Amino acid sequence: MADARTPPFRLNLGRFIVYAVLLFAVCFYGIPLLWLLLAGTRSQSSLFADPPFSIGNWEMFLVTWNNLTTYNNFQIVSWAANSAIYSVGGVLLSLFASIPAGYALAASEFPGRKLILVVTLIAMITPSTAVVLPIFLEMNLLGLNNSYAGMILVSGFFPFGVYLTYVYFSTSLPKGVMDSARVDGANRFELFTRIALPLARPIVALVAFFSFIGIWSNYFLAFVLLSDDKLYNLPVGLTVLISTSGALSNLPANDVPIKKPEVILAAILVILPVLLIFIVAQRFVRSGTLSGAEKG
Amino acid sequence: MSSIADTASPTVPRERVRAAKRKGQRDTRMAYLLLLPYIVLLIMFGVFPVAYAFGLSFVDTIENAFYGLANYEFVFNDFRVPTAAINVLWFVVIWVAMTMIGVATLSLMLDSVGRRTATTLRTIYFLPGAVTSSAVVVLWLFMLDPGVSPFQGLLHAAGWTYSIDVISGIGLAGVFALMAYFSASGGWIVVFGGALSSLPSEVLEAARVDGANRFQLATRIKLPMIWRSLVLMGILSFAAGLQLFVEPQLMQLAGPQSAQNDWSLNQMAFQYAFRMGDFGASAALSTMLVGTSIIIALVIVFATRFYKID
Repeated sequence: MADARTPPFRLNLGRFIVYAVLLFAVCFYGIPLLWLLLAGTRSQSSLFADPPFSIGNWEMFLVTWNNLTTYNNFQIVSWAANSAIYSVGGVLLSLFASIPAGYALAASEFPGRKLILVVTLIAMITPSTAVVLPIFLEMNLLGLNNSYAGMILVSGFFPFGVYLTYVYFSTSLPKGVMDSARVDGANRFELFTRIALPLARPIVALVAFFSFIGIWSNYFLAFVLLSDDKLYNLPVGLTVLISTSGALSNLPANDVPIKKPEVILAAILVILPVLLIFIVAQRFVRSGTLSGAEKG
Repeated sequence: MSSIADTASPTVPRERVRAAKRKGQRDTRMAYLLLLPYIVLLIMFGVFPVAYAFGLSFVDTIENAFYGLANYEFVFNDFRVPTAAINVLWFVVIWVAMTMIGVATLSLMLDSVGRRTATTLRTIYFLPGAVTSSAVVVLWLFMLDPGVSPFQGLLHAAGWTYSIDVISGIGLAGVFALMAYFSASGGWIVVFGGALSSLPSEVLEAARVDGANRFQLATRIKLPMIWRSLVLMGILSFAAGLQLFVEPQLMQLAGPQSAQNDWSLNQMAFQYAFRMGDFGASAALSTMLVGTSIIIALVIVFATRFYKID
């Protein structure tokens, strides 16, 4: 928008400052990530001796990969599987709960509606980390910590998803279509399944996106609820790898095959799914985060 | 879906009033049915844990007896708690300031350069958002280690040889703020990119005609127009920052000499439950932390009109 009307490129002090700051930010945000992705191919000695952005080789990568995946009887593979189970289960449950709820809040008027909306907003604004310890105390009471079911149930509670769906349906539900479907004899449940759900595809994707990112990268909840290392997810597993091997502490060498390159590769595994989703779905962040918030 | 009162005027036959009433009841039942799974989860993981922790905070969980305010007294008398509170406040102040200034500056600057450049740069700023929780701590422990860091030139220039020099040089609050800013700010820059591009073009055009240069356009016109959203970002970051746990908890990964097990308030609540087995004290501190978050949320919902509730 800006460039259509701007005069031809001229370098003055103002522009110089703008580009310098933007370039500085490129280094700040870009260098760590680039370094991490390249470092996964390098050996322990190369990390210390070679220039920071040197690229290792394929053989080195395979050695690291083998060290990491076979360590402790393929432990990291089962952690990755756990992460997948928690994420898929949690995302499905959060969709199952939040899409109909958001629709009901937007499409009908009933006693208690305002209360549910306000409680949902409070739950959504309260950082999820604030309730982790209370949830632990509760799960301890119910005997649900250390279980797949417990993790998935907690992850399925996603008030932000309800709010996003509510805002979506309150602005996009065509009242005319709903009324004529009603006249044609569709009952209320059919209105939801036949009219609302087919319209809901974009909001399902949006809710799934935010829900997945939250669940996949949740460290605190898994760390507190799970004490059995077979049930750990990847973010917790990553820290266990480091603390059992001392790979980051530059202490005297031990014979655990987990060194810096293996840790780097494990960190890449933790971030890769979210990174790939971010690359294809950046626009979701823009349309979702301030959704419903008054603009400006 | 109008209320029954609208349809029940004296001229409407009685059967139709009754029909409308039945229809209204069926609508209500359907709405509750659709809401049921969510309400179960809301009670289980929103309302109940908070209420349970609140109740537990008045119980001596070791002796299983009513304890009055003794758990709160215990927490306030623990010398580590005020220190942790000050630590967390420092972190929040640094992080919120970095976020407000960094996100506003970069968003406004991106809005003043060509669209292609802006889109590319915004993506680069955004991708670190994928590096969260434990991964961001691990990544930054590498970044702050002069032995392997790509910033080693900078770190050496500052006179730091080992990670421990770097960490004490920057200060723990600053290190945690750096980690949090690195992963959380890019998403906001994308959000404000969207907000800025949807500003009414007539206003911007009018300002240009009146002779505003780019700097004036950014600071006098665009900034006031996104100010409310910036404040919302600040409040949300503040609320999230108070709950800091992961970053200090994982400092032990850099070796036992770096461990910070009681640096933040949430870590203290964790210590009470897991190291001391004192669930009552843990519940008391958690209740205060959740309570603060809920008060902030209530202010956002009722005192501002950021979120649409009708």
